[in-house]
Amino acid sequence: MLLLIGPLVGMSFISAVRTYGELSGVNGTAAGVGEAFSPLIGIWAPTFSACELAAAFLLPFVAIRLVSGDRQSGALKLELQHPMPAMARMSAKGLVLLAAWVVASVPPLIGIVLWKIYGGTTYAPELAAVFAGHLLNAGLTVALACATASFTDHPSTAAILTLGVTVGTWILNFVAAVHGGLWDRAASYTPTAMVAEFQHGLVRLDAVLVAATLIALGCGLGAIWMRLGVPERRRVGESLTAGVGALVAIVVFARITASWDASEARANSFPRPDETTLARISGRLRIVVHLAAEDPRRVDLEQRALSKLRRARPDVQVRYAAATSTGLFEQTSEHYGEIWYELSDRKVISRATTADGVLGSIYEVAGLSAPALAEEDIFRGHPLAAEPMGAAALFYGIWPAAVGAAALWNRRRDS
Amino acid sequence: MTPGLHVRQLHKRYGDFAALTDVSFTVREGEVLGLIGPNGAGKTTLFECIAGVLPADSGTVMVKGQQVPGTDRGAHLFFMPDGIAPWAAQTVAWALDFTLGFFGGDSARLPGVIERLQIEPLMRRSVGTLSKGERKRVLLAIAMLTPQPLMMADEPFDGLDLRQSREVGAALREHAAAGRTVFLSIHQIADAARVCDRFVLLSAGHVCGEGTLDELTAFARARRAEAEPDDPRRGRASPDGLEEVVLALT
Repeated sequence: MLLLIGPLVGMSFISAVRTYGELSGVNGTAAGVGEAFSPLIGIWAPTFSACELAAAFLLPFVAIRLVSGDRQSGALKLELQHPMPAMARMSAKGLVLLAAWVVASVPPLIGIVLWKIYGGTTYAPELAAVFAGHLLNAGLTVALACATASFTDHPSTAAILTLGVTVGTWILNFVAAVHGGLWDRAASYTPTAMVAEFQHGLVRLDAVLVAATLIALGCGLGAIWMRLGVPERRRVGESLTAGVGALVAIVVFARITASWDASEARANSFPRPDETTLARISGRLRIVVHLAAEDPRRVDLEQRALSKLRRARPDVQVRYAAATSTGLFEQTSEHYGEIWYELSDRKVISRATTADGVLGSIYEVAGLSAPALAEEDIFRGHPLAAEPMGAAALFYGIWPAAVGAAALWNRRRDS
Repeated sequence: MTPGLHVRQLHKRYGDFAALTDVSFTVREGEVLGLIGPNGAGKTTLFECIAGVLPADSGTVMVKGQQVPGTDRGAHLFFMPDGIAPWAAQTVAWALDFTLGFFGGDSARLPGVIERLQIEPLMRRSVGTLSKGERKRVLLAIAMLTPQPLMMADEPFDGLDLRQSREVGAALREHAAAGRTVFLSIHQIADAARVCDRFVLLSAGHVCGEGTLDELTAFARARRAEAEPDDPRRGRASPDGLEEVVLALT
C-alpha cells in the first residue's frame, strides 16, 4: 500500500497542478470565477482522492491480513488467553491500522509542501477537513475489514465481503441518484458521499457521528466474533444487540443539523450578508420542487442552493413533487421545472436553480431586498500558474525507492 | 499432590458428531499429566475447550474448587496449540519478548529456556521460516515463559527427532519440577511414558481411564477379566507397559 500510494497521489497531484496552472494563466482572477481557483477544489480534492482509492482497494487487505492473519496463524488462540477485553484488543489493532494509514497519508502531505514551494496558498481548516474526512473513511474501511475478518474463517472470504459492502454503498449512491428521498438521505452517509463533502470543506456533525458509530460497530462486531471460546448463539445475540444499538444511535444522530464550512471559499455557504438576511426571515419557508430525481437541474439546485440553504435555515421544508425518477415524460406537464417558494400566505414561482436565483426568490417571497455584498464577502481565489516541478521525481522515484529501502532494511534487520 | 483443576462432564458436539462425551478427570498440582489417545479421539478439542478458546456445549472446569468460565481461564492456565505459526513475520526473539511482555512472564527465565530448548541459533529468524521441529521448540519456549500455574501443550513432541524428543521431555520434567503443572496431549505412547506422571486415556471422546501406569495396568487387567471371565489366561496375561494398556483400554 505504501509503495503504491506515492505514485497514485503523484499522478493526481501533478495532473491537478497542471490543470490549475493552465486555468490560472488563461483566466486571471476575475470575480465570479474565483471559486475555480480554490486550491481545495482544484488541488486537494483530486490529490487526496488517491487516498480514497487506496482506502477502498488497498487498506482492506492490509486490515484483513492483520486480523485474519492472527486467526490463520494461530496467534489469536494465544492472544485470547490474555485477560485483555476483546474490544481493547480489537481497538489496539484498529489504532495500529489507523497509524499505518497516517503514514500512508505522507504523500499528500508532501504535495502540500510542494504546493507551498511553488508559491501556492493553503488554508489550514480546509486541509484539516480533507484529512479528517479521509481518516474517517479509513476508519470505516478498517472497521468493516475487522468485522468481516472476524466473522469469516478465511481472509479471501473477508476480502470478498468487504469489497461487496463497498460496492453495495456505490449501488446505494446510484439508487439514491435515481429515487432521491430517503435513499438520498441514507446515501449521504456512505463513505464516498462523506469523503466528497469533506473534500469540499463541509464538516457535518451528523456524518461524523454516524461514521464514528459505524466504526465502533465494526470494531465491536470484530471483538465479538474474535472470542472463539464464546458460544456462537451468544455471539449472534450480542451482534444483534450491537446492531440495534448502532441503528438507534444513527437515527438519533441523523437528526442533528449542525455543520461547519471549513472551506476558504465558503463553498458550502451563502455569503455572510445573505445568511444574516435569511436568518431575519420569520415563519417557516416551504419549497416545492417540480423536478425529477435524475434531472440535472435538480442536482444543480441541490448542490448550488438547497444544501447551502439548509445550513443557513435548518427549518426549511423542501418537497420534491415529480412523479417519475427521470422526468422524461413530465416535461410537458404544466408545472414541471417550477420551484415554488411559500412563506405564510405568499407564494413565488421560479425556475432558477442557481444560488442567486434561489436567494432572489426567497427574498421576494419574504418581501426583503437582497443585501449588498462587500468586497471581503467575495472569494477571489488564488490562481497560480506553476509547473509541478520535481513532483514526478519525488512521487514516482524517490517515494517508491524510500519505501523499498525501508522494507529491505526491515527484512535485513530481522534476518 | 493436591487437585489443581477439575474437568467435569464436558460435552462437545460438531453437528451430529459427538467429539467429547461426559469427559471428567483431574489435573493435580505439580504433576506432568498426559492426555493419550488415538488420532481423532478428541484430544485437541478437549484442550481447546479447557483453555476456553472453543466453547463446550456443557460441563465445567474448576480450579481449586471454583468454577472458572471460559473467558477467565487465561488467569489459571496457558494452552499452546499444535501446528500454529504465530506472528509468522516476526523473529523468534520478538515472539519471546512479546510473550514476556504480553503475558507478564518472568524475563529472568528467558536465558535458561533458550538454552534448554536449544533455540539460540533461531533467535533472529522469522517464526514463519522455521521447520516443524524448530517451530515446535519455539512454541514450547513461549509456553514455558508464560506465568500461569498450569501449562497445556498439544502434541509437544510432534515434529521432533528422537534426540530432540528426549531433550524436550527432560526440559518439561524440569519445568514441572520447578513448580509448574504440565498437561500434555500426546499420541506417541513412548514419549508419554517417559515424561508423564499420570495419564488420562481418551478414545472416541470418552475418558477410558485415568491414573498412573500401575493404576491403569491394574484397571486394564480388571477390565480384561470382566470381559473374558472364562479365559484360562485371566490374571496372568496382564498388559505390559503403557502401549499395551492403551490398546487394552481404548
